[in-house]
Amino acid sequence: MNCEVCQLKELEVEHFEIREVLRCILHTIMFHRALGLVRPKDVDLQLFDITYVQCGDVELEKKIDEKIDQFLCWVEKHPNKKSQICLSFYEVKNNKAMWFSNRVERLYWEHWYINFNVVQHPKAHSSKSHHSKVVDPGENSSGGESARRTTLEASLQDVLFQIIRFVNDKKDHIPSIPSREGISFPYDITIPSSSDTTFGMDMIKRMLQTGHPTMLS
Amino acid sequence: MTMALSHGNVHSDTAKKEQIITEFFAKSLHIILESRSPFVSSRNYSGEQLASSPSSSSSSSSSCRPRDKWFNLALQECPAALENIDFWRQSNLEPMVVDVILIQQPINSELTYFSSKRDLFKHPSLKERPPNYLNLEQEDFGLEKRNEKVIERWVVQYESQKSKGNSSGSKRSSGNLHTLYKKSILLLRSLYVTVRLLPAYKLFRDLISSGQIKTYTLAHRLNSFAEPFTRREEADIQRFGFTPVDSSCGRLCVSVSYFNLLSDVGSETSTPISPHFILDYVGSPLADPLKSFPSLPVSQSSPLYSPFLRRHSWSFDAYRASLPSKFPSPSPTYSDSHASISKSRSQHPSPMSLPHHLPETFQAVTKNRGFDEYWPSPAFSPSTSLSPPTYIPSSDPCKALLRSESAPLSVPPAKPLNTLGFTKKQCLPPSPPIKTTRPGSVKTDKNAGTSSSAAEKFSLGRDESGRLSGVRISSNSSPRISISGSSSRLSIQDDFDDSEFACPFVVDEDDMIDRGGRPESFDQKSHQNESFEAGGLAPVRKSPDAAVGALVLMLNKAPPLRQDFTGSIASKTECSSNTIQASSLTAEGPRTTSSITSSGLLMSKTTSDALEELRGYREMKDLLLKQGSRSHMLDRSAADD
Repeated sequence: MNCEVCQLKELEVEHFEIREVLRCILHTIMFHRALGLVRPKDVDLQLFDITYVQCGDVELEKKIDEKIDQFLCWVEKHPNKKSQICLSFYEVKNNKAMWFSNRVERLYWEHWYINFNVVQHPKAHSSKSHHSKVVDPGENSSGGESARRTTLEASLQDVLFQIIRFVNDKKDHIPSIPSREGISFPYDITIPSSSDTTFGMDMIKRMLQTGHPTMLS
Repeated sequence: MTMALSHGNVHSDTAKKEQIITEFFAKSLHIILESRSPFVSSRNYSGEQLASSPSSSSSSSSSCRPRDKWFNLALQECPAALENIDFWRQSNLEPMVVDVILIQQPINSELTYFSSKRDLFKHPSLKERPPNYLNLEQEDFGLEKRNEKVIERWVVQYESQKSKGNSSGSKRSSGNLHTLYKKSILLLRSLYVTVRLLPAYKLFRDLISSGQIKTYTLAHRLNSFAEPFTRREEADIQRFGFTPVDSSCGRLCVSVSYFNLLSDVGSETSTPISPHFILDYVGSPLADPLKSFPSLPVSQSSPLYSPFLRRHSWSFDAYRASLPSKFPSPSPTYSDSHASISKSRSQHPSPMSLPHHLPETFQAVTKNRGFDEYWPSPAFSPSTSLSPPTYIPSSDPCKALLRSESAPLSVPPAKPLNTLGFTKKQCLPPSPPIKTTRPGSVKTDKNAGTSSSAAEKFSLGRDESGRLSGVRISSNSSPRISISGSSSRLSIQDDFDDSEFACPFVVDEDDMIDRGGRPESFDQKSHQNESFEAGGLAPVRKSPDAAVGALVLMLNKAPPLRQDFTGSIASKTECSSNTIQASSLTAEGPRTTSSITSSGLLMSKTTSDALEELRGYREMKDLLLKQGSRSHMLDRSAADD
């Protein structure tokens, strides 16, 4: 089976924008891959003039939010870094011999890479200021800030259209729709971690510097 | 194709495929209209529905209609889409062109649109489908001025492939119904997301979600062909084509052409919430009954209103809840929740059916004067000249009311009625209550002891109301009014009705002196309020003598009267014998001014002059009556001039 890969355009975001942007992107992808019966739910972004669609599935929403929280933690510890979140879809193949051990084989058929360049606000000196930024994002809303925001909005819109185009162009690799429980194909969301090859070096360095023993996964 | 033929169940497969395609058309239309047509949208309650049925496939069985299961996409109820698609099914597999139309209207022309739009767009019969069906109707309605623009064009079509050899690339999946269905699902998902990303969606969202009444709206038009865009338009158009879904003998295509420069439309044309709007909007059901019966005496009309008044003094929800029976869907903003209602309303194109149009006026009218131009109602026509001034000012005092949340004071509406019955003062038009201006003006005429024509009344009323608007505003600032303002419209009406007692005759002389330098009408008006503040019901306490004294005092200080104007009124107000009428054209002027205080501002003479004149003319009249000689009378009249 083909495994299609979609690299989404990199978005330059500030910390306080990550949650919303990530939600928007992840839910949009999921909406195209949760091919069970869904009752769509429109969500207007707070920071941008964009409306995206959720599947209206509570479990899915919860899982996405959890992953976003983890990613935010990672970003806290790795400010000013490029980062990548991967949303992957797979099929489960039960290995009959290993059935009792509950071992399953995942056949990935699609990867979506969401690329962020997390930038720090000019006025923010340390990661501690993140919270204040969240609280008061409009504090520094000069012309430059609003221009940046407009640019990001346009970029986010581009990414959404990129998703749509990809969904339209690549249909043949999608397995047949699962009729079992769950509205979506099996999926997982991976965020940067020590095991991630892309970020492995950064993280090792980081760990050496800060002495942090673990990374979030 | 050959694969399909090789199977024994060719027919069933073909039927299934056609069903999938048909349902695909229906779903596409549903998706588009749901996010474009403010009158069918259910965007606002998607949250509730989600809460009740969190759409996991397990729980959906109970709440899902069969339609929802198609393409695993459960959409909100969208009557317009269903309605339209019914036509579609009968013209199977023809292209479906959905034009999304932005209708911008000059500020006061919205009524036109609303009164006709539904007829135009709700029944786009595909069967009949005269090419210019819509345009013709527009012309019939005289709507050429309406500023319409197609801002989006969705084309859903099934391209059948006659030459089977062409589809070699897609052969592998083409025969598979499952694949067709799955890809259709995917296409519809991306369609669903895309409609929300295009510029027109922002307009739609603003239209349905804000508390603003827009000077634009969105409509849709369904057809099987696309009227070409102009070359100039073509330059601005962007296109997005969804990747077609191949089937055994054709492919499903969805594409959209859209204008990308709409972002400024919303901000330009949106009108911020203003007191006027709210007034029109909420108050209109109130006001409109009166409007439609301009000649209704206050005493008759107010009982009718009291229920409305109460209703409107409450929140929008209460309003909505209580209204639909008579006034469905008051505004586009809220119409989503009344999709079915607005639909039913739309099926009543008759411009004469007032109840159906009342709510539309609220949603549509951004300026009150729009009313007169677009209200075909015959009942309303006589008052055309009057209503604009009366209507606008009268709404001012209600501003505060509309925002008030508290329950209405239980002021018996009958009270003002009774008082009205015996208030024979020449007080100013009692108009402050929402629509009573008109009856008020009529009453003033009566006070003048005339049987003047309706036109005369109205012109009079307009003068008065126009002048009184300022007074009314000032009265708003009085503590009394502000208190009532926070309670309810009813209470305010009561206030104002009560204030009618406080006409000049009954005002204390002290008060009169204070105000001596001001124009009469203002005096009186402010007195109304003040006397009411002081405890109201002053007339009962005042002795007639005191009242007369006050009047005389006031008249002495009144501004000059304008001779010619008084003459014209006098001709109508004359109540004495007809033999004198010819010569007393001017003679009656003074009398008019003394009784119709409201016209005082226009007079160039002082009222004291007028009184003197009147006295003189009275003497003349007596003389004339005595002499009874025609020649004498002529001499007198000549002398008068």
